[in-house]
Amino acid sequence: MRDIVKTFFGIKALDNMTLDLYQGEILGLVGENGAGKSTLMKVLSGAYQPDSGTIIVDGASHKHMTAELSKELGIGIIYQENLLVPWMNVVENIFVGQEISKHGLMKFDEEYKKTKALCESIGIELNLNKTIEKLSVAEQQFVKIIKALNENPRILIMDEPTSMFNLEDAGRVLKIVETIAKRGVSIIYISHFLKEVKQIANRIAVIRDGKSIRTYDNTKKDVNLDAVVSDMVGRDASMFYAKEVHEIGDVIFEVKGLKVSPTSKPIDFDLRRGEILGVAGMIGAGRTEIANAITGASRKYGGKLYYEGRELHISNPRDSINYKIGYITEDRQKLGLMLDAPIVENLTVVGLQTKIKGAFVNVRNFIPLVKDTIEKLRIKMSHPMMVVKSLSGGNQQKVVLGKWLFTDSDLYIFDEPTRGIDVNAKTEFYKIMSGLTKEGKSIIMISSDMPELVSMSDRVLVIRGGEIEGILEGDEISENSIIRHALEVGENENAG
Amino acid sequence: MPDNAIAREHKSIAMTLRDQRVILLILIIVIAIIVGSINPRFFGVNNVVQIFQQISVTGLLTMGMAMLLLTGGLDLSIGSIMILSGVVMSILITGGTEQTASSIDSVKSVLATDNGIVPVPAAILIGILVAFGCGIVNGIIVAKSKCAPLIITLGMSGVYYGIALVLSGGKFLAFKMAFEPLRVLKIGGVLPVTLIIFMFLVVVTWFLINRTKYGRRVVAIGGNEENARLSGIHVDFYKIATYAISGLLCGIAAILYATRLDSITAGGGSGYELDALTGAIIGGVTFDGGKGSIVGAFLGVLFMGLIKNSMNVLSVDSYIQTIVSGVIVVVAVIISNIDNLRKA
Repeated sequence: MRDIVKTFFGIKALDNMTLDLYQGEILGLVGENGAGKSTLMKVLSGAYQPDSGTIIVDGASHKHMTAELSKELGIGIIYQENLLVPWMNVVENIFVGQEISKHGLMKFDEEYKKTKALCESIGIELNLNKTIEKLSVAEQQFVKIIKALNENPRILIMDEPTSMFNLEDAGRVLKIVETIAKRGVSIIYISHFLKEVKQIANRIAVIRDGKSIRTYDNTKKDVNLDAVVSDMVGRDASMFYAKEVHEIGDVIFEVKGLKVSPTSKPIDFDLRRGEILGVAGMIGAGRTEIANAITGASRKYGGKLYYEGRELHISNPRDSINYKIGYITEDRQKLGLMLDAPIVENLTVVGLQTKIKGAFVNVRNFIPLVKDTIEKLRIKMSHPMMVVKSLSGGNQQKVVLGKWLFTDSDLYIFDEPTRGIDVNAKTEFYKIMSGLTKEGKSIIMISSDMPELVSMSDRVLVIRGGEIEGILEGDEISENSIIRHALEVGENENAG
Repeated sequence: MPDNAIAREHKSIAMTLRDQRVILLILIIVIAIIVGSINPRFFGVNNVVQIFQQISVTGLLTMGMAMLLLTGGLDLSIGSIMILSGVVMSILITGGTEQTASSIDSVKSVLATDNGIVPVPAAILIGILVAFGCGIVNGIIVAKSKCAPLIITLGMSGVYYGIALVLSGGKFLAFKMAFEPLRVLKIGGVLPVTLIIFMFLVVVTWFLINRTKYGRRVVAIGGNEENARLSGIHVDFYKIATYAISGLLCGIAAILYATRLDSITAGGGSGYELDALTGAIIGGVTFDGGKGSIVGAFLGVLFMGLIKNSMNVLSVDSYIQTIVSGVIVVVAVIISNIDNLRKA
């Protein structure tokens, strides 16, 4: 791949990305959330078309990929998500879309034989007649691998293949990956588990902010993980936002023994008046689950919440709204907005419960009420009756925040507040957040954006596997320390 | 989206022309002019009043259906609820007297209190409460089970129809002219009071959706249910309330039905739910909820009624009428969906 550029709404997801891959090698691809790994995969699969750059396979260069071309060139991808049909058995799943048939009649015997041979060749034992829903997560992962292999790929991209496994199963996957590579298939192995990558990769490529930073040789499996980590996070000072400093008050909100599932470990933390508490962790670490449990968006299985020493009884979102907790959810289109409704209607949807009295309403009369909110957030629009769908991402996100400002929340929980919005809108958002804390409001900010976490947070809570891995304060807050806590690196290397 | 004058002020003429309501209104006017020029009787006061009377039963059901569609719901049992409510009224008024040719003559001038179980107003009230109760039951099942309302209410339709069959013994039940006063009462000698009731309830429905907190919440739920929940809206309660209101409208529709026909049979409600659904969808209310308007739904019903009436006025064969209605419904839905086609 040479100089691949891919822009989304003015944001460079891939910025002159260049990668090489040799036959039969395992290339470990590492980078933090949003570094561009999944965009890269989608460019290779033909799902996205790059703005510029070339993809060269065996000397033949291509401007972009299509799904057909990608298949023809032998590029196979194993996605993190499960794309199998749950009620079909293993064999049927493997042959979906390329069934073996004669005169339109299925030849299950032949499919079964081929699958069996494939399994044996790489050492997987599976009951091929079981339906997918009856298999364990690990077995399903094997099915995905077999399915990809069945298409005789020359290049295989694996996205977090072990993320849901216990150590033993992960070990099996790693062995299988090595077996596949030995047969001459080149593998791009994407993972958050650096130790795993070190264990199997021939080379390790670090990408950050859509650029390839450095490639390490790991033929002797002796790469220096510390160097890899600093490459993953090292950024220019220009990427950080300079937050104004102000006085932080006493502890105002406490979480004690919070359990997000029956089996999860209890979580304790507190929040001070005027503080921004960053919550860091890799995707899937369980950060959103904590926010959902606090706000009553999903059930909590234990633990108590206190605000100014008073216990809060929250069993659904209505309760948390009554306690003046605002929850700016992660997926604004799915969870936070009515896309076909006017701005004013979206801004007042929470206020309808709290601020607006009486049974009779007229949306037109709301317009003067939301004027302050719109001005404060500087939402760019032609009229408050405009439908939210026609706003830019940044302005849509402001509307989501606006509904909580409108109802005068005291505690704000942001989940990925600036995901998918451009740099200018980000800066505006940070100003608004600083403004809120100056007014004495407190913020819990879940984020995968490193510069955002480092520059905005007064303290950072790092979550890994649903547990608090560390609380960083003051000078301890750096990209390096966050990523070290979020990933499994360093001290306990021998403990496994 | 609500009916909103301000939203409309900010639309260009081209945008206005894409509004389902505007398209429907134009279609209605064009059809009226064509039919009227062929047969001038069409524009007679009596015929116009008749069109509105003919749509009043379906129209009330459509109002309920439109509200449900706005929450992202649906009720396929509204025809059965209406009939069950009517059967209960009949039994309470006449003691379950069968409608026969002779009984029509014999009771023509008698107000039926002789073998009635309760006075007529009480019977009406109980009938309406039954419909209200059916709505609540549907609402609770749909909201609490989180199952698809389409299939739940289809099943409940069978239940209510069955109860109506059992109660009526499958016979045509009489109302013994109990609703005669309602039928003959005309404001200014022209406007039947049943028509006034229908139009009044259309306005009430519009008001509920556009001018009350309840209505805004209903639209918010249809627009994005998860967002509504996270915004502190008691989603289940509002769903159940909307099914209940739709049930209430079914009960009132039963009165209009009884007034028009003076008899009722368990099988008489079939087809009403689909007519109501068609009317609402032609009027631009969408299946996915949150989008559409009460005015649109009303115009949709009016449009369907107009087509039927026009064909009567033009003496089209009744079998052919069925085919033509079907074709026109399909064409109207395609035209009203033109905005989405352009986007694709």
